[in-house]
Amino acid sequence: MEKTISIEINNLIKYFYEPEKFQVLKGLSFTVQKGEFLSIVGKSGSGKSTLLYVLSTMDTDYEGTLKINGDVLTGKTQNQLAAFRNEHIGFVFQFHYLLPEFTALQNVMLPALKLGKLSIEEIEHKAYESLRLLDLKGQELKNAKRLSGGQQQRVAIARALINSPSVIMGDEPTGNLDTKNSRAVQDIFKQLAQEHGQTIICVTHDPDFANNTDRIIEMQDGLILS
Amino acid sequence: MSKTTNIQIAKVHLTSKIWQTFVAVLGVTFGVSMYIFMNSFMNGVNNAQDDLAFSALSHIRIYNLDNKNDYNPIESHYKDSKTLVTILNRKNIQYTTGLNNSSAIVSSVMKQPEVVAIARQVNANVFFRGGSKQVNGIISGVELKSEDELFNTAETVIQGEWNNLLTYKTGIILGKLLAEKLGLQINNSVNVLTSDGVSKNYIIVGIFESNLKTMDETKAYLNITAARQLVGKNSDFASDIMVNIKDRDNTASFIQKIASMIPYQIESWQEANEQLVAGSELRNIIAVAVSLTILLVAGFGIYNIMTMTINEKIREIAILKALGFSGNDIMTIFLTQATVIGLLGALVGAIMGYGISLLINMIPFTIAGMETLPIFFRAQDFLLAIVFGILTTLIAGYLPSRKASKIDPVIIIRG
Ligand SMILES: Nc1ncnc2c1ncn2[C@@H]1O[C@H](COP(=O)(O)OP(=O)(O)OP(=O)(O)O)[C@@H](O)[C@H]1O
Ligand SMILES: [Mg+2]
Repeated sequence: MEKTISIEINNLIKYFYEPEKFQVLKGLSFTVQKGEFLSIVGKSGSGKSTLLYVLSTMDTDYEGTLKINGDVLTGKTQNQLAAFRNEHIGFVFQFHYLLPEFTALQNVMLPALKLGKLSIEEIEHKAYESLRLLDLKGQELKNAKRLSGGQQQRVAIARALINSPSVIMGDEPTGNLDTKNSRAVQDIFKQLAQEHGQTIICVTHDPDFANNTDRIIEMQDGLILS
Repeated sequence: MSKTTNIQIAKVHLTSKIWQTFVAVLGVTFGVSMYIFMNSFMNGVNNAQDDLAFSALSHIRIYNLDNKNDYNPIESHYKDSKTLVTILNRKNIQYTTGLNNSSAIVSSVMKQPEVVAIARQVNANVFFRGGSKQVNGIISGVELKSEDELFNTAETVIQGEWNNLLTYKTGIILGKLLAEKLGLQINNSVNVLTSDGVSKNYIIVGIFESNLKTMDETKAYLNITAARQLVGKNSDFASDIMVNIKDRDNTASFIQKIASMIPYQIESWQEANEQLVAGSELRNIIAVAVSLTILLVAGFGIYNIMTMTINEKIREIAILKALGFSGNDIMTIFLTQATVIGLLGALVGAIMGYGISLLINMIPFTIAGMETLPIFFRAQDFLLAIVFGILTTLIAGYLPSRKASKIDPVIIIRG
């Protein structure tokens, strides 16, 4: 596969102002290749989640530049970024956020319905398929709030995959999962990266997970160690 | 497709907390139904008031009163000269009052298409005497058929018959209280004394009781020919001509139209009874003020509920935005909810307002000829109530929705 750049950040700096001014990210620069499966590790509080929120385009309050698929995303409006996220980025939050009043299936379908590229039947079929892949067969029509923590996390993963985004980001996406399910998720990610060229970036505390990826970035106090 | 997705999300929000939706709908329902009830009630009251007033009042009255007191030939003659003029003990000559050629006026007014009824009257202040008792009052000589067309007088006659005045030349119909004051009953004779000193006896052929106490206390009817005889006038004389037109709110333009043909005073009921107009205007203002207040309060309720809903859903809104929903999508989702609440509330409110009004319309209220509390429905009240209800909801829903659309997802998701 030809090597093209998927994500590029340049001299990324971020401050938090509460309770006092404090530099979380201290000038990060790196690139991620298309189809690369990357893990970010580091001590708690080192700034991994903060970095991921910037990469996911949700956090716009930073210095430096962010480029995804060649598009400079720094400086775009919230609505432009929302549309970009919808099509190009799948995100699994550290604390799996589902819409509690919607069923697992509806949660998975939502980003695709918003994108509106496929018919409802196709979307539904795809959603069932992803849920089955994540061992959630039979849970599709349950309300999200009635699922266990691990089940919710897997629904969130299925939701991140539904639009076949070019970049998938996860903040400890397997944090709540047992070894077997965690392995399954890793395998899915690996396959997506290799066969479909989707870029995958995961923050993880699990050394097994990290060792299973193409590249490990280690963070410490807002800087990249290696 | 994204539009229908937003609507589906709104639907889930509305149905998953059905109780909250119900309370919000109830708020609108209350406002709209009260608006309809208040206005229908006020209209009913106004109509009842008018009916009462128009049982003795015509839309237009034509009369001739000697009120030209400014005729002063001496002063005007010497006005510009240096002569000092002093007139001592000045007196006005009595000119004739009333209309001597009433049939000509009646026929020309009758030609107007707006006219529905017209009647001539000969009215005079008199003394009624029965035995040793003497009561002053008004004698009204009327054209029996037209008078009844205008004021439905025939049905107020509780003893004897209205048409007895036709058959008995010397017949008179007295107000109930007047007869009681004089201590007289039907078939008794009553003496009438005019201001010119003419005295004449009549037989009481009927007693009437209207909705107006002062009329019952002071008024008596004669046939118009008998009345002309009593006051010593020619056979075409009338003191007043009463006219009813199709639209009583349109008197001004009608008067303007006929004024050139009639050289006498023409007075509309509005001019004659300003207090009546003022009363109904004031009632209308109260009705509008009260119903707008109700809608405003309901609007605040909806605003609160929508704000609550949105605060409760702030995490969901952040997730939706993280997934790629735009500010407009979020706005659509919550405005759809407001619209549904507004539509449902307004429709149910219209039905409830109708029902409440019907119930109130059954409450007995037997004063001045009424039987129950008056209610009058107008399509425009229903229309306005529904429009106002939906509009209030949309405005009340818009502000929180806008706030929701501006939420920054990362702040909420970071925790
Ligand atoms: N909203 C915030 N306001 C101020 N400081 C914050 C905020 N969020 C995080 N921080 C601080 O920024 C630093 C980095 O936080 P971040 O959440 O990125 O850490 P992390 O590497 O993801 O840790 P963990 O592995 O525990 O999730 C921490 O010191 C944290 O206290
Ligand atoms: Mg973190």
